[in-house]
Amino acid sequence: MKINRYMKIIGRKILLLAGSVFILSLLVFYISRLSPGDPLVSYYGDRAEKMSPQEQEWARDRLGLNDPIHVQYIRWLQNAFRGDFGISYKYKMDVTAVIGGRILNTLLLGGIGFLLIFVLALLLGILCAWHEDKILDRVICKIGTVTSCIPEFWLSLVLILIFAVSLRWFPSSGAYAVGKENNPADRVRHLVLPLTVVVMSHLWYYAYMIRNKLLVEVRADYVLLARMKGLRKSQVMFRHCLPNILPGYFSIMAVSVPHVLGGTYIVETVFSYPGIGTLTYESARYQDYNLLMLLSLITGITVIVCNMLAQAVSERIDPRIRVDDEGAYGEVEEL
Amino acid sequence: MSELLEVRNLSVSFDTPAGEIQAVRDVSFCVRAGEVLAVVGETGCGKSVLCKSILRLLPEIARIKKGQILLNGVDITGYREQDMCRLRGRFFAMVFQNPMTVLNPSMSVWAQIAEAVKVYGRNMSREEVEQRVIQLLDLVGLEDLKKRRQQYPYHLSGGMQQRCVMAIALAAEPKLLFADEPTTALDVTIQAQILDLIKEVQARLHTATVFVTHDLSVAAKAADRVAVMYAGKIVEIGTTEEIFQDSRHPYTWGLMRALPAFARGRDSLYSIPGMPPALIDPPKGDAFACRNEYALAIDYEKQPPMFQVTDTHFAATWLLDERAEGLGIRAPVFRMEEEDCQEEQKSPEAAAKVLLDVQHLTHVFPISSGKTLTAVDDVSFQIRRGEIFGLIGESGSGKSTVARCIMNVYRPAGGHILYQGIDICDSREFRAHKKMLQSTRQMIFQDCDGSLNRRMKVCDIIAEPMRLQHVKPPRGTYRAEAAFQMQHVGLAAAYLDQYPCALSGGQRQRVAIARALSMEPALLVADEPIASLDVSMQAQIVNLFRHLQKEQGFSFLFIAHDLAMVEFLCDRVGVMYQGRLVETGSVKEIFHHPVHPYTQKLVASMPLPACCTGWDERRQNR
Repeated sequence: MKINRYMKIIGRKILLLAGSVFILSLLVFYISRLSPGDPLVSYYGDRAEKMSPQEQEWARDRLGLNDPIHVQYIRWLQNAFRGDFGISYKYKMDVTAVIGGRILNTLLLGGIGFLLIFVLALLLGILCAWHEDKILDRVICKIGTVTSCIPEFWLSLVLILIFAVSLRWFPSSGAYAVGKENNPADRVRHLVLPLTVVVMSHLWYYAYMIRNKLLVEVRADYVLLARMKGLRKSQVMFRHCLPNILPGYFSIMAVSVPHVLGGTYIVETVFSYPGIGTLTYESARYQDYNLLMLLSLITGITVIVCNMLAQAVSERIDPRIRVDDEGAYGEVEEL
Repeated sequence: MSELLEVRNLSVSFDTPAGEIQAVRDVSFCVRAGEVLAVVGETGCGKSVLCKSILRLLPEIARIKKGQILLNGVDITGYREQDMCRLRGRFFAMVFQNPMTVLNPSMSVWAQIAEAVKVYGRNMSREEVEQRVIQLLDLVGLEDLKKRRQQYPYHLSGGMQQRCVMAIALAAEPKLLFADEPTTALDVTIQAQILDLIKEVQARLHTATVFVTHDLSVAAKAADRVAVMYAGKIVEIGTTEEIFQDSRHPYTWGLMRALPAFARGRDSLYSIPGMPPALIDPPKGDAFACRNEYALAIDYEKQPPMFQVTDTHFAATWLLDERAEGLGIRAPVFRMEEEDCQEEQKSPEAAAKVLLDVQHLTHVFPISSGKTLTAVDDVSFQIRRGEIFGLIGESGSGKSTVARCIMNVYRPAGGHILYQGIDICDSREFRAHKKMLQSTRQMIFQDCDGSLNRRMKVCDIIAEPMRLQHVKPPRGTYRAEAAFQMQHVGLAAAYLDQYPCALSGGQRQRVAIARALSMEPALLVADEPIASLDVSMQAQIVNLFRHLQKEQGFSFLFIAHDLAMVEFLCDRVGVMYQGRLVETGSVKEIFHHPVHPYTQKLVASMPLPACCTGWDERRQNR
């Protein structure tokens, strides 16, 4: 019976995901075609301007751009179901191939960045809450306020200037040096600066949040009872307060996946890092419709799945939000 | 008996931006092994702070300014946090006022009790811990929980939660238990159970108990000795007998006179005039002097020392000084009025007119997935014009739901509510008489904090219903009308331009009353209007209700769980139990000849008459 219930819940979630993705694709499809610009330019480059109107008409026809938008959408949808997401106008190859070469780079940058933010924010938040209003707390808070005000691109440029140009410790651009594609050490060297920017620009916000939420918990009544039992400060903090803020933290972190992803897109551009961030930006700019569609779908699915995961994790930790089919009411009445 | 805890000249203050709050001032007392000491006083007199400062559970802005705390003769005042951790739970433990919030909401109750056990017995095996938890559950009467380990605090009722807290506090068999208003947040019937439980456990384990309460009758029931606190000081301390039969301090006299049981058949409840002083800058002399009708000149100048009455009885009042002996001021004699006061006979025509007729009211709340909760089940009663109808019952019995249905907040699932013959549940009839219905029925809520918009000034709050109903203010402007209403409910006009946050709880409730009365309602519904107030404030507000009702003659639906107040205020009473109205009748019938078993239980659990009668009899026997 229990398995049955889980299957039902999972089925519902998958339906929800499919629905969301469908609406997302529809919106992106229409909106991208509303923006000004000519996709022919991205396909033919400078040659597009030299083409005669007849040639342009023919080219559009060939790319299927002359049909009404809904016809185009249905065609795209049909192809997408078969796994064919079309070709990129700019790169003149399958969009999956274009993305496939780069998505790993972004996953590496975004994933590691996200994990670092997650863990460091937790540590910093606990540290600050532990030393509430002491000198350490104040210093960390001041540093955080200043750092979170620095725009990402500026921070990137300063870091490049110091560590790449002056000190020459780390390379300033790319994901690997030419010819060292499979050398992990080299990849790590290339990751250091972009990662620093991603982490530094997001970390403080979450660290503050943890700090403040913990401080609210520390003042809660149940802490009195826990201390009355004779628990030490660390036991109260890690057994009682921390578990109570984690569900909220998980869901906020999940919601902020696009936030962090957006951050990596900027960083990728400044560091000329070959990830899908740069690609998304270019595809939107050059009317590379098929590429844009797939990238938006990937981002969207990531966000939705993260949210669902966060909810699942929160439910595991906090019994109060569980979908309680047995109902708490019945038991109260019974007792 | 050996002295387990001795507190010498303890002063505790809070450093706040507004200044230093002297919450506990120069308090000395001791607790002997196995005895029960009750600490009595109004809210804010420093009772809780005193307990928490002994356990060192206060926030960091609090500090012990001077004095000593001795446990078994060892001075623990200078102990560091680590040392205190070792004492807490093992030597002393505490039960708190609000069981709902002191239990960690996201940890199962079993785990929380087990945690307390493990702190105490670090080397216990899993089975031993389990055995001990089961033992504790037996001790506090929670046998049901043994099999259900995945019960979280929100699954349990308030009384069961308090039992869990008791189990946690007793996990390490402490020698000294602090109980900080353990029954205040609970229903009357549950209060009695918890009180019995504490007494039983105390008798079985010989735990010395410090029982903090604002309720004198609870103290009389449970304690061996009583300490009365006022404005951070202990003003009188002695054995229970001495305090209740031979009290010497005027404040203690005032507290006793304020017991509703003494007001039976009288016009108004006694309440000590004025408010306790602010402890930021305590007065030079006796802090109670300005509220004391027996105050002597010296009271305003110099703080009285503790005078010894007997070996065990001390009181801090200049009345005990030999120079005051000649004045012959003695404690006023309290006696319960005999039941000779004649029932006020309503004039027959008034009795005939029914203002509100509730017929077979049923209300159902949907809860998860198709299940429903019947909050109100086939309730019928009538309220006549100019009558005060009291609705009593424990929380969750559907009292508030009835009130909200009457006020058209909820749409009942079944039944009719006829107000002046209009069926207000019928939306067409309601719309036709909307203006009249909305202006002549007014409501006062329990939480005066939440029911006043904190961003509106008092005068706007009071005038808002008039503005909304486009009533032309009879006294010229809305402001003048608001000022008049405020004066009416006993608030100074100076508060007109204040925001609610500047007012005390009692004053806020007065504003809410003024707002309701500004419409000159025919029906006033008050949903637990005094539950969130302090005892002396409760008396003042109930007096105000009685006075206003006599003057204006509105019908009044008074919802409360405080039986003594209902008995004092109301003409007729309805008793609700699990959504049903189990009994209605005149106050006299309900309180003297209850028929339904639940009403009998309720009346029997009233802490006041039981204790006071006993004490009164003892007095007369002397």
